[in-house]
Amino acid sequence: MRDLHLSLNQTQRVRLQAALDQLESYAASTAAAAASVTVADSIPVNHEDNILKGHGTSDLDGQVVATLCGVVERVNKLVYVRALRSRYKPEVGDIIVGRVIEIAPKRWRLEINFSQDAVLMLSSMNLPDGIQRRRTAVDELNMRSIFVENDVICAEVRGFQHDGSLQLQARSQKYGKLEKGQLLTVPPYLVKRRKQHFHHLDQYNVDLIVGCNGFVWVGEHVETSEKESTLLSDKPSGKQETDNSVPLETRRHICRIANAVRLLSVIGLTLTVESVTETVEASLRSNIEINEMLGSEFYVQTVEREAQRRASMVRKRS
Amino acid sequence: MVGLSEGEKQFLRGGIEQDLRSDGRTRHQFRSVYVETGVIPQANGSARVRLGATEVIASIKAELGKPSLLHPDKGKVSIFVDCSPTAAAIYGGKGGEELSMELSVALERCLLGGKSGAGAAIDLSSLVLVEGKVCWDLYIDALVVSSDGNLLDSLAAAIKAALSNTGLPKVNVVLGASPEEQPEVDVSDEEFLQFDTSTVPAIITLTKVGKHYIVDATSEEESQMNSAVSVSVNRNGQICGLTKRGGAGLDPSVILDMVSVAKHVSQQFTSDLDSEIAAAEASDE
Amino acid sequence: MAASTYSPSQGAERRQRQQQMRRLSIQSDWDRSDGRSFIQCRPAFLRTGAANAASGSAYAEFGTTKVIVSVFGPRESKKAMMYSDIGRLNCNVTFTTFATSLRGQGSDNKEYSAMLHKALEGAVILETFPKTTVDVFALVLESGGSDLPVIISCASLALADAGIMMYDLVSSVSVSCIGKNILIDPTNEEEVCQDGSLVLACMPARNEVTQLTLTGEWSLPKINEAMELCMDACLKLAGIMRSCLKESANLSN
Repeated sequence: MRDLHLSLNQTQRVRLQAALDQLESYAASTAAAAASVTVADSIPVNHEDNILKGHGTSDLDGQVVATLCGVVERVNKLVYVRALRSRYKPEVGDIIVGRVIEIAPKRWRLEINFSQDAVLMLSSMNLPDGIQRRRTAVDELNMRSIFVENDVICAEVRGFQHDGSLQLQARSQKYGKLEKGQLLTVPPYLVKRRKQHFHHLDQYNVDLIVGCNGFVWVGEHVETSEKESTLLSDKPSGKQETDNSVPLETRRHICRIANAVRLLSVIGLTLTVESVTETVEASLRSNIEINEMLGSEFYVQTVEREAQRRASMVRKRS
Repeated sequence: MVGLSEGEKQFLRGGIEQDLRSDGRTRHQFRSVYVETGVIPQANGSARVRLGATEVIASIKAELGKPSLLHPDKGKVSIFVDCSPTAAAIYGGKGGEELSMELSVALERCLLGGKSGAGAAIDLSSLVLVEGKVCWDLYIDALVVSSDGNLLDSLAAAIKAALSNTGLPKVNVVLGASPEEQPEVDVSDEEFLQFDTSTVPAIITLTKVGKHYIVDATSEEESQMNSAVSVSVNRNGQICGLTKRGGAGLDPSVILDMVSVAKHVSQQFTSDLDSEIAAAEASDE
Repeated sequence: MAASTYSPSQGAERRQRQQQMRRLSIQSDWDRSDGRSFIQCRPAFLRTGAANAASGSAYAEFGTTKVIVSVFGPRESKKAMMYSDIGRLNCNVTFTTFATSLRGQGSDNKEYSAMLHKALEGAVILETFPKTTVDVFALVLESGGSDLPVIISCASLALADAGIMMYDLVSSVSVSCIGKNILIDPTNEEEVCQDGSLVLACMPARNEVTQLTLTGEWSLPKINEAMELCMDACLKLAGIMRSCLKESANLSN
């Protein structure tokens, strides 16, 4: 929870402090507090074992010293430091959302909130006509008919290139261009790896795609079969002036869900589909206007709800 | 500034048409404004204003100087805006100069009034101590810390808050024996004159996207604008300044309509801003 | 309200104060204007997370010197086109127009930017972010003396907040030599009439000096004394920085 920039009145301040203290007491009960280190703190190790020095550590006169601020993790003989507010650490198979910044020969370059840009090869992308064949020179010239600059794309991490940047693939039907919605950026450490990153919220007719890199897409629901047909019907010249604007009811839901994501990222809570839907339902219950979800009253209410949730979890455990 | 895909642009424009923007606001709603005063203790007055993710700091320094020969009965005010590289990487070095210049000029136009001094935010003749010899020079410095659209409105709000935080020390002037001699000044350390900021106007920027105009645009919405009109309205509903930006041409009736919308919106915004400033001043003490 | 600038009277007052200082410096024992002893630093107030948009940031307040540093990255930079197996550190120091008592031009201070870079490059492990750049932007909100050491310490804190791998935190202090006396952490008015100065930046846990600059006329034992004083102060300052990082780590849990 960084610098809070909302004007709270006195009662709100008191309620917020009480909820924060409650959350802190639950966090402190875990052993994490004891193992936190800052830069150049020496890590206690048993020198008899052959300790493997992992990420975030270095050797100083035989002592193992941290080079990052974070929590010390030990796995068998490996000792490493896990940073608390780390950057995105990609793994093969991650689902990410990115934006095209450049079209290069036979590939697209995407910005994905990582230290380097990622690459999507033409061969890792389904062709519009759906036939599996070798990419010809004509395909290369028509790359623009598939994706242009600034398009938002959902893809999967295929592997790493020799210089450490990512290679992506978008072969399946569920990947591809994202339209009719908005893209949000949240800190990557708030997104934990789960089985599912594509969430179709039926009751709102909204797609919620939580990218592991911190880009979150909230948009109108698109059937996966429809995605292929839109690629075919995309005319390379001119924009589509067809009447495909989003209906007002769906738009309301999209904005509500987007605001819930913004609120959770400002508070610093992990972003899961459950937390997002819970927040949206709570806002509907309390009859809060969509834009008021980002205001001080709902902020304090959400923190209080989280404290109550943790309290009930602790009670269930004990 | 990152670009937007076609799909995102259509979503944005559709939202504005349907009066429901991406964060749930209607076309005429402002983001919540947050004011802090007295952030620069060594200045005469200062304030920090947050409008959504846009954050600006304004500081006011007063120095004794000589009035210009053209206007011996007026003090001097100069406004200078600086875009810090923390706001966007392009602002480092020469990148932010053009934007800073544009913002400084627009602010001066809205806050300094006509040549005769009519409609100015600050009564310049109140800054004069000895006509023709000694006056106050006010230097208003504004710093853009982070930018998410609508810089002009936030800067004007910050300047207003800083002015209400400003205290000019009382000066005792001892006139010299002959009219040509420079009078002696004795600056008091205790007594201060507060500024009356009820005449300071607020600036409302209306951004035209498609057929509709929106208030308080984020940088995403600003990237989609055809044109924008910034109107400065004071407490009495008088227009104190107007600037049109953007290449697209506007029908004159549209401009007049935008001005009346700005007038209407400014009432709510000014009262919100004033209560925020009052709360900030109260918590400062 | 703090004293502001009034051009007519300021000149005379300042000159009087400087003359007074010169007279005092010949003696060996006198009080500093804020009541500190010669070997006492100003109380330090440090806070991380001051700028939300940056990867890491820190705010430092040492008496009347206020600095805010934001760190962006590691991110791709348009300038560095060549492949390199180590990262690039880009430092930039700006003074705001209201930082000094005499309203100055708010432009980039190239000298301080270069010195900040030299102080930090020994501590940052550049091999961990090849091909990319880490941008460090320092903004001086108020200049109250001993500016560069405060900028260096604050920048090191911001880098740790951003999760950039470093061998150790870099802390920095400066000493002024006035007459026979050595004063640590000088204020503006002490710096103005100093005979010599020594700025030291070091990594306390490794006992390594990353930057040392000296001006004026110094004898060897004096340099020794000054360096020892600085290293000791740097160690204490690093302890304060460390506890600040621990506190913010506990909060984000």
